[in-house]
Parts: sequence; C-alpha cells; structure tokens
Amino acid sequence: MNERQKDLLQKFAALAGLLLLVLVFSLTSGAFFSVGNAMTVSLQVTTIVYLGLGATLVILTGGIDLSVGSVLALSGVVAGLLVKQGLPVAPAMAAGIVVGGLCGAVNGLCVTRLRLPPFIATLGMMLVARGLALQLTDARAISGLGEAFGVLGNGALWRIEEIDAQGFPNVIFPGIPYPVLLMAALALVVGLLLRRTMLGRHLHAVGSNTEAARLSGVNVSRVAMFAYVCSGALAGLAGCVLMSRLVTAQPNEGVMYELDAIAAAVIGGTSLSGGVGSVSGTVIGAFVIGILRNGLNMNGVSAFSQQIIIGLVILVTVWIDQLRNRR
Amino acid sequence: MNALPSSVPAPALLGMRGVCKRFDNVVALADVALDVHRGEVHAICGENGAGKSTLMKILSGVQAPDQGEIHIDGQPARIDSLARAQAMGIVMIHQELNLVPHLTVAENIWLGREPRRGWFVDRERQRDGARACLARLGADIDPDLLVTTLPIAQRQLVEIAKALSLQARLLIMDEPTSSLGEADAARLLQVVRELRREGVAILYISHRLDELGAIADRVTVLRDGHHIATRRWADTSIDEIVSLMVGRELDQQFPPATRRPGADLLLRVRGLHRRGVFGPLDFELRRGEILGFAGLIGAGRTETARALFGADPVDGGEIALGERLLRIRCPRDAIEAGLAYVSEDRKAHGLAVAMSVAHNITMANLAALTRGPGVIDAARERQTAERFIEQLQIRTPSPDQIARLLSGGNQQKVVIAKWLFRQARVIVFDEPTRGIDVGARYALYALMDQLAAQGVGVVLISSDLPEIFGLTDRIAVFRQGRIAGVLDTRGSSQQDVMRLASVGPASLSLAPDAAPDTGSP
Repeated sequence: MNERQKDLLQKFAALAGLLLLVLVFSLTSGAFFSVGNAMTVSLQVTTIVYLGLGATLVILTGGIDLSVGSVLALSGVVAGLLVKQGLPVAPAMAAGIVVGGLCGAVNGLCVTRLRLPPFIATLGMMLVARGLALQLTDARAISGLGEAFGVLGNGALWRIEEIDAQGFPNVIFPGIPYPVLLMAALALVVGLLLRRTMLGRHLHAVGSNTEAARLSGVNVSRVAMFAYVCSGALAGLAGCVLMSRLVTAQPNEGVMYELDAIAAAVIGGTSLSGGVGSVSGTVIGAFVIGILRNGLNMNGVSAFSQQIIIGLVILVTVWIDQLRNRR
Repeated sequence: MNALPSSVPAPALLGMRGVCKRFDNVVALADVALDVHRGEVHAICGENGAGKSTLMKILSGVQAPDQGEIHIDGQPARIDSLARAQAMGIVMIHQELNLVPHLTVAENIWLGREPRRGWFVDRERQRDGARACLARLGADIDPDLLVTTLPIAQRQLVEIAKALSLQARLLIMDEPTSSLGEADAARLLQVVRELRREGVAILYISHRLDELGAIADRVTVLRDGHHIATRRWADTSIDEIVSLMVGRELDQQFPPATRRPGADLLLRVRGLHRRGVFGPLDFELRRGEILGFAGLIGAGRTETARALFGADPVDGGEIALGERLLRIRCPRDAIEAGLAYVSEDRKAHGLAVAMSVAHNITMANLAALTRGPGVIDAARERQTAERFIEQLQIRTPSPDQIARLLSGGNQQKVVIAKWLFRQARVIVFDEPTRGIDVGARYALYALMDQLAAQGVGVVLISSDLPEIFGLTDRIAVFRQGRIAGVLDTRGSSQQDVMRLASVGPASLSLAPDAAPDTGSP
C-alpha cells in the first residue's frame, strides 16, 4: 500500500466514521434523519468549520491559534456596537471581520517578529480579546440590533412557504441557510488555495520543514503571517454570523470554541507537527463533532456525557493517526 | 604492527582484540586491536569516517560490537550499557558537552546519582563532593553556579570533574580542545597531564596533530575502520602519521572530466567573516570550475557555505557574482542572484520529507509554474517533475511519491533537481555523497562534471579526500575557520591537503619533509 492509498484510507476512514454515526443515530432516533435536522446540524457546524478552516491553515504551518473563541466574541461585539452607533449592518460586520484580522496580525507578529511560541502568543490574545469584548460592553449583551442584523444568520436561500387555510405559513422546504452557503463557499476557496496555489504549497512547505522552505527561498514569516491573519479574520466572520443568529452581541460567546476548531482539524487528519492537513478532512471532522452532539442530544444523553464521548473520539482518532505514521 | 613498549607492566587497563562493527553494509570497524595502560595518554588519529567515533561508542557502552573481545584489567568484560561502562570506570566526554544548562555545576556533576538524605537530595554533600572534584583539576568554579552561565572552557572542566566523581580510570576525550582558544586549550592539556600522573588512562581523539605532541605517549591510527598502526609518539613524526591516516589510493571510480574551466571569474569572495566562526577569507570560483573545500569537520567549510547562501548572518565581506556585487541577507536574495546550496543534512535542511517528489523539485521556483493569481499549473508542474526525474534518473514510482520513501541517493537527486530547475549559476554541494551507495555516487560525480561543463560554478565540500582529488580543479583547504591554502588539484598530494588541514602552514615549515609520497594520484 503506498502513501497515497494510505492517505485515501485515512480520509475514507473519517468519512466512513461519519456515515456510521449518521446510520446509528438514524436507527436510535426517529427525528434524526430529516431535512430539517440536517439543516439544523449544518447550521450548528458552521461556526466550527469557519474556525476549523483557520485552525487548519495555522496548524499546517506548525503553529496553533488558541485565541479564536475570544476573537469571535470581540468581532461580534464590535459589529454590534457599530450598528448601535447607527452604522449600517454590512460595513459594521466588515469592521468586525477586520478587527478579527487585526487580532490575527498581532498573533502573527508575536510569532514571527518576537519569536514567541504560538501557544503563548495566542494564549495572550485569547485573554486580551476576551477582556476587550467584556470591557467594551460592560459584560452585558447588546440587544435591539434590528431585523437587518439577523438576516445573515437566520436567512435562507430557496425557502418555500405556503400559506394554509388558516393564514399560517406552512414551511415546505426550509431553504439553505446563508451561513451554510457561506461555509460551503469558504471551504471551496480555502481548499483551492491549499491545493492549487503557490501560497498553499508554501504553507505546506513551512510546516513540513521550515528550514528547507527557508533555504528554498520561501518567505517563512510572511506565510505564517498569512495563516494567522486568515485565522483571525475567519474568527471575526464566525463572530458576526453567530451574533447575527442570536440577533444579540454577546461578549461571553465562543468560550472554548478554539478547542472545537482544533479538534475538527485534528479529527480530519491535520498533524499538529505541521505540514499535513486538508480542508475536506477538517470539514468532516467538524461534522463528526456536530453530529455527535446533535445525535446524542436527541438520544437524551447528558451534556456531561457528551463531553466525555467527544474527548474519547479525539483521543482515538489521533491515536489511529499516530499508528499510521509510525513505521 | 603493534609496537608495545616492553617497560609497561601487563595486564593493560584496557585490551581490545578483533573488534568488528558494521552498519547495514558499511563496515565501521574491522578487526581492531587496542591496548591502553594506566597513566598513559593514548591518541587516536584518523580521517573523518575512519571509525574513531564507533570505537568510542563501543567502549562507552553506547553500541555493542558485532565481534571481538574486550578485556579490563586482563579480565574479559562485556560493556553493554553506559552504566556498565561507568561502573568499570570508563567515562566518555563528548565533543558537544552533555551538561544540563539550567542546573548548577554540582547538580550536573551528581546528576542521576544525587547523594540523598532520606527522601531529599543532600545538597551539602553534593556541593562538597563537587568542590573536591573541581579542586583536583585545579579549577576555581563555584559549584552553585548555573552551567549556562559558564564559558565553554569551564564547562569542559565540569565534565571532567563529573568523570572524576565517577571514579574514572579510563577517560575518553573526543576533540576536547576543538572549541577552546589557545590559552584554555593549553590549560586543558595541563589537566590531562595531571590526570595521567594520578594514573588515569586517557584515550584522546584529536585532529590537531601538533597538540598531540604535547601530551600523547602513544598513537593509534585508524583508516576505513581498520587498525593501521600503533606507535610510540617518540618514535614517530607528524608526517608519518599523516601518511598513515591518508594512505589510500584513488580506489573509487570517477567519470572522466568533460568540463573545461574558463578563465573568467564567476564568484569572487573577499574578506567574508563571521566573528568566532570563520574568516576573514578570500576565494574565487571560475566559470565551469569545480572548487573543493577540504578540511576537518569543524574547520568552517559548512559555515562558510551557509553564510554565502544567506542562511546564517555574516559580520562582513564582499560577494560578487560576475561583475555584480551581491547583497545577501537571506536565502531568497542568494537564490534570486543565482546561488544554490545543497546542504549536508538533507533531511534537516534540504528536503520537505512529507511532501512529494514533484513538490520538492518545484519548491524553489514555483513562480515559474504559476498562471493567474499564484495558481500553480498542475500539468506543467508534473511535466517539469517528470523531466527532471528522467534527466537525473531519479528512481521513484511516480512524481507523487512522498520524498521520505526514496533512498538517500535519490533524495539527493531531488534536492539537486530543485536547483537545476531554478537554473542556479553557482551550486555548493556540501558532503553530497554522505550516506549514498557507490553506484549512486558515480552518477552524482558525473552530474557535477556536466553542470560545470555547462558553465555552472561548482563548490564541493567533502571530507573524503579521494573524492576531492577525483573531482576538483582546485582545493581550498580550511583550518580553524580560515583558508590555510589553495592548491591546484593536479600536482598536489593528499598529504599536502592533510598537512594543511591538521597542522597549518606555520608548523608545516618546521616539520621535516621526509614523508614518502604514497598517496598522490
């Protein structure tokens, strides 16, 4: 079996695990296998995917980003506050995403210029961004943001309704939520970036062997910088979408989300030592987490037991990955 | 060949007979014999790769011999672990010292054997013991200082004190003066003499033949894993030792040279230096020429090449390619100017082992394969990779094969293909044939000659003298960070190089020129 086949097997194993989960939950819970629930799961998974894509880029270079949960909150809060100040929703959210990107840039500078270990640099940002979000809002949720603020998170494409005899709307097809469309588009773009472009190749090279990349003329700092800025901006986007879904800006939102993002990447086969990882893997990893949560919920498994199960899943998948790489 | 002095009473502290060791198909030691007596400084000499390190590893219990006997005090002994070696009083001091920087001197000396009182370390006894060992060396070092705050020379003394605390009877020292200045080296030699007087036996490995004269009682020369000779120092000369160390004819096959070095200078280096590492040095490379960098390990050849390539910083100097003065601050500058460096340690610096052959080949020149906004043209990338796989005859099932799975020679070719695709004008090969089998070597040699024939300037860094002689047009001999001399390959002998590398031009004039010229091609 050559390396390529092994990679395929790895990817297939993750996908097979995902399908197995779907099968098991479909049998144990009647409401699981339906278009409505599929949309619910997809919607829940979007945040993990946005953050997971960023995590994949950063981990590919051999780094880590612990700050995304906090950056998500800060960006959402900034967008919310700007709307409160009278700014239209679109530029406000753009500003939120820019704030996320700036947080990422600071992370990148700490790693490339100050030569801080990524773990430390982003741990610092995790505290700083969360503190800023709480400071800006006095730790209170901002509500009353208006209907337009909720469109991105709650709208859907191709929603089909019918007004029944009593005059109540009857949903025939719930439509594809905007966050899900956005997720698909981002996954496609980042996937192409990684597989087809020079920058994507350089991201792999830096993580695979930083010194070899440097000696081949790759601008290692700039590549790492790009990964952190993307991760921050994606966290900013995740924040805007999430706050929009709630139609409230919550400074306490997103705690520990960075761990979901890292878990999704890792379950999808991204190597924490860098150089190995893919968008498809991360998306599958995110769905494994999302479907586990949703299915276990439907089966009445407590939130505590869910944590235990997801923790074990992470341990087992990474162990399998280690087995594959040991030779 | 053994000329044992009859005055030394038997049995020897250490006796080795018929010791053999091979790694895969490479013979590291073949039938090696060695005797070391109490109160003797016994020097071991040999070129890089002669088997010195393997011998030391066997004695210190790191590796087991495949065959042969080892006697300690006349009794057969099995040295199957570091702990066993230490229990027998055999202690090795490595060239790169094995101290824990963030522990104190006393803690380092007793590491793993801390004197205890109940459950706790007895710091008082630890400190006193350390002080006693240091005093024996006449070293005035506070045992409570962190090792990281000490200069190298003092760390060396701490290592020796640690050996004394282990009741060492046989001390193995690997290039102990290589990182010391003149004054510190002299002080260390004094310590060695002191230990000899106390009856400690010392196996002393050093490339600095001139310094051996100050301490060695006897010397054993190894070559290609074989025991060549053991001589009393008083009965031999540096020239004889150099001849014994080299003694090898050009037994490898080299392709006939097709290149014709031009007269015009391609690369001109003036006053290049990095404080405490190498230089200042001057050299030139002509178009279509292969220039050898010879010298011992640690003489500054790799450091020079890396600095030239922008991989390490320099403190000053001028590099000109053709007529153009280069400003090189990082490898990218060097690459854009047309320089390339095929590094000594492929896996650490040259190859992204988890990436495919094709991706490695194109890594330094991806921009040539892109269309639109940085999008790689996959078809052209594949064609490029296939072209180089064909041209360099890289044995790989496909361009998509992960580089890690290729053999050493083929990995090396992948790295070279990377620079060919970049159309480098000057390529530095640093120990390109290390760990590569003989057949693949020939192909690499032919390739270097072809490159030169096409007008590329080639620098070959090699510790293998026959390789240097079989391949180069001129040889720059490095010694302690400087170029000790530049020789024309034709008309020079391996002895000339070895002498420049290990004694230097100054001592050369003092040495009687009586060596037989056995090694000249």
